[in-house]
Amino acid sequence: METYVILRRDGWRTPTELEEAAARSTVEGERTPDDVRWIRSYVLAETAGSLGTVCIYQASSPEAIRRHAGAAGLPMDEIVKVVDTVVVRDDPIPAST
Amino acid sequence: MALSVSARGIDLLERGEALATLSEGLSEARLGRGRMFLVGGEAGAGKTVLARAFCQGLGDSCRVLAGACDALSMPRPLGPLIDVAGTEGVLADLVRLGAQPSEVFEALRDVLAEQATVLVFDDLHWADEATLDVLRLLARRIEGLPTVVIGVYRNDELSRTHPMRTLLGDLATAAAVDRIELEPLSRDAVAELALGHPIDVDELHLRTGGNAFFVSQVLAAQSSEVPSTVRDAVIARAAGLSPSAFLLLEAVAAIPPRAELWLLEALFGETSDDLENCVATGLVLDELRGTSFRHELARVAVEETTPLSRRRALHRKIVAALRHPPFAEPDVERLAHHAEAARDTDAVLEFAPAAAARAASVGAYREAAAQYSRALRFAGDRPPGERALLLEGRSRACYLADDQVEAIAVIGEAIECRREERAPTHQARALSELTTYLVCRGLLTEARSAVDEATRLVAGRPESREVAWVESIRAYMFLSDGDVDGAIALAGPAAEMADRHGDRDAAAQARVTLGTALLWRDGPTGKATLEHVAADRSGAVPAEQIARALNNLGACGASRRDHEFANAYLPAALEYCVEGNLDLWRINVLAVTARSLLDQGRWTDAAEFAALLLQDPRESPWPHLEALMVLALVRARRGDPGAHEAIEEARALGVPPDEVGVAVDLAAAQAEIAWLEGRAEEVGDITAMPLAAAVERGDASAVSRLVFWRRLAGVVEDGPLPGSDAYALGANGKWDDCAAEWTRLGTPYEAALARSESDHVDALRQAHAELQRLGARPAAAVAARRLRQRGVRGLARGPRNGTRLSPAGLTSRETEVLALVAAGLSNAEIAARLFLSTRTVDHHVSRILRKLAVPTRARASAEAARLGIAPSPR
Repeated sequence: METYVILRRDGWRTPTELEEAAARSTVEGERTPDDVRWIRSYVLAETAGSLGTVCIYQASSPEAIRRHAGAAGLPMDEIVKVVDTVVVRDDPIPAST
Repeated sequence: MALSVSARGIDLLERGEALATLSEGLSEARLGRGRMFLVGGEAGAGKTVLARAFCQGLGDSCRVLAGACDALSMPRPLGPLIDVAGTEGVLADLVRLGAQPSEVFEALRDVLAEQATVLVFDDLHWADEATLDVLRLLARRIEGLPTVVIGVYRNDELSRTHPMRTLLGDLATAAAVDRIELEPLSRDAVAELALGHPIDVDELHLRTGGNAFFVSQVLAAQSSEVPSTVRDAVIARAAGLSPSAFLLLEAVAAIPPRAELWLLEALFGETSDDLENCVATGLVLDELRGTSFRHELARVAVEETTPLSRRRALHRKIVAALRHPPFAEPDVERLAHHAEAARDTDAVLEFAPAAAARAASVGAYREAAAQYSRALRFAGDRPPGERALLLEGRSRACYLADDQVEAIAVIGEAIECRREERAPTHQARALSELTTYLVCRGLLTEARSAVDEATRLVAGRPESREVAWVESIRAYMFLSDGDVDGAIALAGPAAEMADRHGDRDAAAQARVTLGTALLWRDGPTGKATLEHVAADRSGAVPAEQIARALNNLGACGASRRDHEFANAYLPAALEYCVEGNLDLWRINVLAVTARSLLDQGRWTDAAEFAALLLQDPRESPWPHLEALMVLALVRARRGDPGAHEAIEEARALGVPPDEVGVAVDLAAAQAEIAWLEGRAEEVGDITAMPLAAAVERGDASAVSRLVFWRRLAGVVEDGPLPGSDAYALGANGKWDDCAAEWTRLGTPYEAALARSESDHVDALRQAHAELQRLGARPAAAVAARRLRQRGVRGLARGPRNGTRLSPAGLTSRETEVLALVAAGLSNAEIAARLFLSTRTVDHHVSRILRKLAVPTRARASAEAARLGIAPSPR
């Protein structure tokens, strides 16, 4: 399993749409825990009030990430491999589950 | 086993914790979070009893499925799953056919997903590879199933390299897998069991080491003495038997897994009294299917105490009896087993090769190879010709099971035997076999010298089957070298000679070579020849040649980028190989399919096929290289990470020196990747040597392909090329014509790349849109940059992959299938379109109907429309 950053720019029009997507992502992810593991996401403010995300995943391959996105109905812009993690400070904003 | 019969029923001593763990696991499973428990213990620790007691305690509250592995020297593939699958249904069919573990697992998963289940696998230390593979897959996905799997195994028989130990290691970090180790009984437990017995508890505990089975055997003998070994304890239980009854017991011990009544009567005549007395000892069970020992330890104890000479004689009598079963044909596998146990050389040499042939005919090539090994163990004193036949059989079985290294080693021994036998034509035939194995490994130079030696050996000799075979392989060698005319000249006469001498294998081999060569030269005649061979399912054509014919049809289409042609054959080829267990050809077809899908712009499918292939630990280099290159290109074209890793892995595998086509493929892939990553300046160096080599050997298509990538990267020093194939057009800078030709071939990515080279804004727009549709981010960015340079603004981001909700909880594959159902395609047509087997499509359609809660395809199509799923274009 490698760690990847996934960019999903401008994917959702409202917070509700995003929440629904998150739920689908969780359900699909639990089907294949050895293929993809969702670590965390940051929600991005895009133009005109729409939303995007930066997601951190562990996955067995980039294709596994795409498969998960397809099954959960999530947009995919870019996948980048993470080679190192440097945590300087804790996240200032607590995660909303 | 430590069963203490108390007033409340049967309690298990000191197994409370284990039972509680299993119960907890079941509670979790009922909520949909499955678990696997691997229960280990020494022989006689009471593992099976634990599992059985747990299942009995469930009553009707849960479905229980169980299967056990046999203590046969050659375990049946998927043995325990035969018990689990029953006689009907998809799982039963797949298990009977000996399908691949992944397919069997999918069907098993469907069965398990239906309702909460406890699934028990007993005696896993005897499991075959296929069963362990299924177990591995199950362990990985158990968390999403309402299932508790209990895997029982003996942990005192695992050598360092035992497959079960490997499985335990693989699953050590698996989240949903737990190990339960059953400890020997404590002195207190032994004391409780021994209540009321006139026996010294301390001595009992000391001697038995707390082994539950041993304790139970001692107590059952109702004596005050404690025997020193389990074997003695077991024998003590049989102490009261009459001599004839004891002989019967020995016979039952010699016939695992169970001895049928007719067999015992054939051996001993009337047996009912003796059998009853044996059953009364408690050591054996008499059931409908036959008599068997309750516990393997007991069986082994009795078997080992049978004097060797009596054992041999017994097995000899068993062989005689098994020759004439009352119903059905003699079971050659059982006969071979008992023949070996009897050390009856003639019988082994009669039955082991027959068992091998039978195994090969159902595609169980590993078992066939093992049976040939058995025969060879007894053939040491036989004349070289007889040994050679067995070696040739073994090598062929190894080859078809994709054990190339062994196949080559064994055929080498066969060649030596033929030389010893002074049988030059047979030696030549064996050398021809060697030639095919060497070609398969990409060792073309050695293959050529082998076939040359074979040719020398048959020179000037009269026609025969062996000469026909040599001629056929000579034709095959010409084909491998790309000399189509040479192949045609030899293959036709070789096929006719083979017909005249009744060698159907050689005739088929030659015809497929002929058909392939004709297909490459002009098309229709070759196509007809190959289709004719592939359609012959009468048994006249060996399975391998049917697979080869289908593969070659598909490969030719794929190579010419005639996708319609390729798609007409590749799915059928794959299904045939999977069903026939032709591993060797299956991976070839997977590789060809992956490349073809890549060319068609179906990148997700291409990557999936490549990944499927790479899961297989196989030996033929070419398919692995092809799969890695496809994966590298999919990733590079999408801008995903991992392209370099894949290419590096391909380079590490090493291109066999004679495989020039592969060297060109690798150079083209590396050139494209460099260009996509903005390192166009490296393309010249990457392609320089392969280009020079291609020019030298006059390989026009390789030249145009490499120059195409050089041209894209801005290298213009190569002169104009002859030829009008798509690559050549681009290489010569005729980009519009090039784009048109790629479009005609149905190769959208290359077409879009060619269009991006155009000066016309419309063409650039079209290219940009198409590249976005394909998900080709780096190439789309290049097109976008060129559009911006021409002043075009406001480029759309393009359609997003996967933004559409999955309606009704359908997976993306299911949505794809539904769209094709809505378009009116039959399951067979859908299977061909998606490169799946018809059976897999049947599964998908049933799942879709269930998820949509509709009974018919027509209703499903209506639902699809309601959900906004457009029918796929036909």
